[in-house]
Amino acid sequence: MRMNEDPVRDILRALAEEDAGIEASPQIEVRLRKNFSSWKRRRIIRRTSPWVLTAASIVLVFTFVNRKETEPPAAQSTPVEQTAVSLPEPIAPAQPLPKTTRSRNSTAAGMPESFEIVTEFFPLMDPAPPFERGQLLRVELPASAMQMVGLPVREEYLARSVHADVLVGEEGLPRAIRFVKIEKE
Amino acid sequence: MELFTVQNEIHNGSCAKASKQKQMSESDEQLLARILKGDEEAFAALYRRRQGPIYRFALHMTRNRTIAEDVTQEVFLALLENGRSFNASCGTLLSFLYGIARNHVLKRIQKQWRDEPVDEAEQYASNNDVFHDFTRGEIIEQVRRAVVSLPPVYREAVVLCDLENASYEEAALALECPVGTVRSRLSRGRMILAHKLAKYKVYGSKCV
Repeated sequence: MRMNEDPVRDILRALAEEDAGIEASPQIEVRLRKNFSSWKRRRIIRRTSPWVLTAASIVLVFTFVNRKETEPPAAQSTPVEQTAVSLPEPIAPAQPLPKTTRSRNSTAAGMPESFEIVTEFFPLMDPAPPFERGQLLRVELPASAMQMVGLPVREEYLARSVHADVLVGEEGLPRAIRFVKIEKE
Repeated sequence: MELFTVQNEIHNGSCAKASKQKQMSESDEQLLARILKGDEEAFAALYRRRQGPIYRFALHMTRNRTIAEDVTQEVFLALLENGRSFNASCGTLLSFLYGIARNHVLKRIQKQWRDEPVDEAEQYASNNDVFHDFTRGEIIEQVRRAVVSLPPVYREAVVLCDLENASYEEAALALECPVGTVRSRLSRGRMILAHKLAKYKVYGSKCV
């Protein structure tokens, strides 16, 4: 025995029409937008951290080995180069044009001078723990790392490498990053 | 100066309108690609487009607005975390979202059953002492109760295919079963509903 399903379908259609306009309350969208912002920050940290940590650890190991091999014992007592840098206020990563600053590098006489154009620091930790002192490490990263902090990068440049300064805290964790463009005069 | 401000406002307004139109014309998959690059507006556009079906699916499955809202929120959060696992060649993004919603709904239903062993919805649905002269609104309410009293496997098929107009293929993807199974569950679900509704005298069931 088979039942005629048409009346059920009709009545279900009536229910579907009745409920067609039902939607979730607007608060859900507000909550989701907040969650989106924190997801975006977590995603940037998750994606950038392995690159930065790898680069930072390579630089640290290289610096340590190099110092041990080359420096005389007296020089070992000199403090490790530390730069006290105040952690910048977090800026919105989607800002298309971050402020840049220029710094002049001292070079040997007769050599062309080079300029560095640097972006602002982008925080890598959210929330950032208290910061007092740290080291600034110059590393090379793929340009896609710039995209991860919200800077616009053309598709064709994604695979190229760029210079970056990573601010590493005393505990060895990367706190912030800025990108550097070196230009020669 | 004023003219400049007005012109600027007009320009901003038309830009916002153009951006909205662009989002409207974009497919779900294009919006997802933008979301995964961190575009919040794309996320909002996709949410506005798809929250209705997801919310209604959860609501018809549970008959509880709070749970339905929680599920809707969880679905879109899960999309952020697992959006990369979506494969457009396997089905539509909507069926992917229904699949996530279904998992969350089933968890909630199981929890509800553990917390409240007596199926309240079923009890409510079988209380048929006063069902004689129904207005349209009352009939609709009885149908809602009857739907939520269906066993979950039939309920999800009925809600997706009959209430949300999902295709058999979309439902099969969301329910992780073959299309034939969806058809048979749907048919069985409708049959159970017909018996329930006949019992409430919402309409007379016909046998052929």
